[in-house]
Amino acid sequence: MTKDRDDKIVNESGVDESLIAAFIRMSPEERLLANDRMVQTILELRDAFKRRKTDESEFKPGS
Amino acid sequence: MPLNGEKPMNPNLSLALDELLKAGVDFILVGGLAAVVQGAPVTTMDVDIVHNQSPENIDKLLAFLDSVDAFYRRLDDKLIKPKRDELSGKGHALFTTRLGPIDVLAVIEEGRSYNDLLDYTVKIDFRGHTLRVLDLKMLIDLKKNSTDLKDKQRLPVLKATLRQLEEK
Repeated sequence: MTKDRDDKIVNESGVDESLIAAFIRMSPEERLLANDRMVQTILELRDAFKRRKTDESEFKPGS
Repeated sequence: MPLNGEKPMNPNLSLALDELLKAGVDFILVGGLAAVVQGAPVTTMDVDIVHNQSPENIDKLLAFLDSVDAFYRRLDDKLIKPKRDELSGKGHALFTTRLGPIDVLAVIEEGRSYNDLLDYTVKIDFRGHTLRVLDLKMLIDLKKNSTDLKDKQRLPVLKATLRQLEEK
């Protein structure tokens, strides 16, 4: 997946410098809480994906 | 509450750190969460710590692990509680807890222990406690020769974060 992004925002290694700048502006505790929220989101999405795959495997065309 | 080797549905890594500090455990935060604390926009699913291996500290660590229902992470369903001799040894003890996965490491890259790493830490005020975190420069140095794919992917992000911090 590629994104059209400003060359000044994305460095030569492909790192989004604006994301780092935003994260640096946060306090250490805010960064930890942001990570916790991301983990929650990832687990919810994984769970939804697992359920979707289960639903698909139970689906029988024409039934 | 036994977790049967499953990850808890509501991990709370910041609370895990808070509880470790409240329990008076002497440790250095390393790994992905150390990078997060210092501003790297990465996401990590566990807490990695290198602990002081004094007998008194291992007592505190065992009490903390018991309070968060810690069991060794395993591929089978066996529930094994933390063992003192493993926390006193030179290996890695990987736990599932009700607050999320916690990895207790006696040493990290190049056999570096708590005492070896102390000079490369930053102290951060966190919820009324002092949290000791492995500094970003050392995190980068330790990961430079890593063959782990996750480390390789993270390294450019860590380097860019360090550069921005130094420019501030």
